[in-house]
Amino acid sequence: MNILISGGSKSGKSALAQQAALRLAGGGKRYYVATMIPYDGEDRARVARHVADRAGMGFETLELGRKVERCLSLAATDATFLVDSVTALLLNEMYPDDHGAEADPDAAKRCVEGLLKVARGAGNAVFVSDRIYSDAIRYDCFTEKYRADLALIDRSLASACDTVLELCAGNVIVHKGEWKP
Amino acid sequence: MDFIIGGAYQGKREYARSRFSVAEDEIFTCCENGRIDWRARCIDKLEEFTLWCVRSGADPVGLFKSHGDAWRGSVLICMDISCGVVPLGAENRAWREATGRLCAYLASEADSVTRMFCGLAQKLK
Repeated sequence: MNILISGGSKSGKSALAQQAALRLAGGGKRYYVATMIPYDGEDRARVARHVADRAGMGFETLELGRKVERCLSLAATDATFLVDSVTALLLNEMYPDDHGAEADPDAAKRCVEGLLKVARGAGNAVFVSDRIYSDAIRYDCFTEKYRADLALIDRSLASACDTVLELCAGNVIVHKGEWKP
Repeated sequence: MDFIIGGAYQGKREYARSRFSVAEDEIFTCCENGRIDWRARCIDKLEEFTLWCVRSGADPVGLFKSHGDAWRGSVLICMDISCGVVPLGAENRAWREATGRLCAYLASEADSVTRMFCGLAQKLK
């Protein structure tokens, strides 16, 4: 069973994703696949908050900022994986060697391949993404490409997942499949 | 008229093609020059039309009302640009409001309203 969860900032995506992953795991092994690579104090504070939020839930953390499909070889494949977030993964894949000046144009394609491997190979997977598509700004080419790429990944995951949920101020909108609160 | 709304890259145009059997050459795509084919089977990127309206002082809702006999059987598509922070630039603020008002008007006149999310259709009306 695979679930895609998206929504605006601070809408409750991670909390719902943890709840969903716990439910899917049903007492079995569960892994939190953390894709954000912290670069500064603000990032580290965000990571600490997420770690505290999931304390006691029995998640083992796998820090995979790139090539997220490696989670399948690091853990039992019948486990449940919570991938948080697709958004951070794409950003990291755009700069595969940490020092690249030019963004890799094929990053989204690699993300789709890796994430679909997780969706197909894992016992269960929950993916968290961000809804960044509805503001009245003309972005620069770089940002616009990032938005288009993230949307491509989102649509691919939405097509592959059994359940697709949108969060709005903590409320769940069911776009595909079923969700019982 | 069937109205399709949604964020950027959410699959609006693809949905118009698959759900309403609109062919690619039946779609008029608006751009910043303000040209619009009121009688097209499908009009996409209405947010570009509203941007032209803002820049030229035209009222998009008024223009749609005055051409009401032309688009009643059409498929209309607009990007939802309503959810960001209030834009700093006056033109972007006016654009966002004009687009919101047009979307509300078209939704009220539509036989169906569909919101696209990650390629999935959510029926609003």
